[in-house]
Amino acid sequence: MTDYPFLMELWAARGAILNGLGLTVAVSLLAIVLGSILGLFVGIGLTYGGGMVRFALRCYTELIRGTPVFVLILACFYILPVTGIQTTAFQAGLIGLLLFCGSHVGEIVRGALQAIPRGQSEAGKAIGLSFSQNFVYVLMPQALRQILPTWVNAATEIVKASTLLSVIGVTELLLATQQVISRTFIGMPFYLFAGAIYFAINFAIEQLGRYAERKVSLP
Amino acid sequence: MTAPSFLSPRLRMALTIAAALGSLVATSVGATAQETKSKLDAVLARGTLIVGTGSTNPPWHFKGANDELQGFDIDIARIVAKGLFDDAGKVQFVQQSSDARIPNLTTDKVDMTCQFMTVTASRAQQVAFTIPYYREGVGLLLPIKGKYKNYADLKAAGDAITVAVLQNVYAEEMVHAALPQAKVDQYDSVDLMYQAVNSGRAEAAATDQSSINWLIVQTPGRYVSAGYSWDPQTYACAVKRGDQEWLNFVNTALHEAMTGVEFDTYAASFKKWFGVELAPPATGFPVEFK
Repeated sequence: MTDYPFLMELWAARGAILNGLGLTVAVSLLAIVLGSILGLFVGIGLTYGGGMVRFALRCYTELIRGTPVFVLILACFYILPVTGIQTTAFQAGLIGLLLFCGSHVGEIVRGALQAIPRGQSEAGKAIGLSFSQNFVYVLMPQALRQILPTWVNAATEIVKASTLLSVIGVTELLLATQQVISRTFIGMPFYLFAGAIYFAINFAIEQLGRYAERKVSLP
Repeated sequence: MTAPSFLSPRLRMALTIAAALGSLVATSVGATAQETKSKLDAVLARGTLIVGTGSTNPPWHFKGANDELQGFDIDIARIVAKGLFDDAGKVQFVQQSSDARIPNLTTDKVDMTCQFMTVTASRAQQVAFTIPYYREGVGLLLPIKGKYKNYADLKAAGDAITVAVLQNVYAEEMVHAALPQAKVDQYDSVDLMYQAVNSGRAEAAATDQSSINWLIVQTPGRYVSAGYSWDPQTYACAVKRGDQEWLNFVNTALHEAMTGVEFDTYAASFKKWFGVELAPPATGFPVEFK
């Protein structure tokens, strides 16, 4: 051992930690993108859907938002296989995260759409726009400005929730770090290092969000 | 004593609920499909053995510097794979936390679990244990250059010594079972506990005998074991209940690793992880009936 055992071990474990980081980024990115697409449709359904659609979507969002993500991930891991859907731990975790993301984004979209004054869509109708034209050109651009800040918040939540995948055996950044700690017995520095990486990821997401907000803000 | 896993109580409850829901669905779905074949046939047909194990507890199951799973549990799983396919490499490891050992068996995520699992009668109601492949106990780690050389020295020292131990509700009780008068200092993590011994803050550390042996293997010439261990616990692999043929097969593979044709593989692994040379089993009259 030299004077800097942590730096030595960090260098020795760079492959394992980079693999973990890669998995964390991959699963978070996929969950955010797919979950946001799902959430967009959920939000539209909650706002404009008929009674049955609204009831079904309400059940989905209430159920998911009312249970811990942790339980959701375990449920995807243990319950999907016995219903005949065979998944890897990564897939099960991804499904859990994207369902979580979808329910939150769904509520964000619904809130943003309902916050737009009625007169806007009425004005759209009055000049002869179809529903989809009205939605794309009148409502969505206004809703987007409302959605962005809370959506960025939801995205950072997903990155943080991805640590829970370590429990079902996905070697993401946290589990990769724990594996290195168990071998080297250097606890605190490695945990701090992992924490710094999570912070860097979320800080980057927030900066990206700010940039997007400036782009879409009205002059 | 298994290592305390993080999130333990919450995790255990959630896992139990998830597994219970899972098996509920399984019974309703699988009620029509009659299972006639043993897991043994299914594993042979698949061509790989799926084994549940952990990845954060040396020397049992952990990632080496090369990021590959290794350890005594891993070697035990490979012995079973060799028995199945004549190829120790045909095994796929599913990483799981300690709390997932039983749920992952009952929901068929894995064919068997080899993860320093302590045999208890209550666990045996949920899964079927194989024959044991190791007996764990608590031992005492001493610095090689220290004042006390063995267990007798420590015991004679009475309350003049301090023993470092991993934080635990039963820590005091556990140490006092062997050293009734010793002072007990509890530490948050394994590295702090070893640090206490290195710095002389404690005269000895009480921890799993296997961890002590592994530390001595890793850093030769720095520590010795006090040569006394207590609180015995049996480690065995486990399979899902209700498949005697599969259980018999795994038992046979393990049995022959400890007494028969695969003894050299087992002994080499034992030496590698615990630094202990095993005497070959006696020939002639079967060792089991002595």
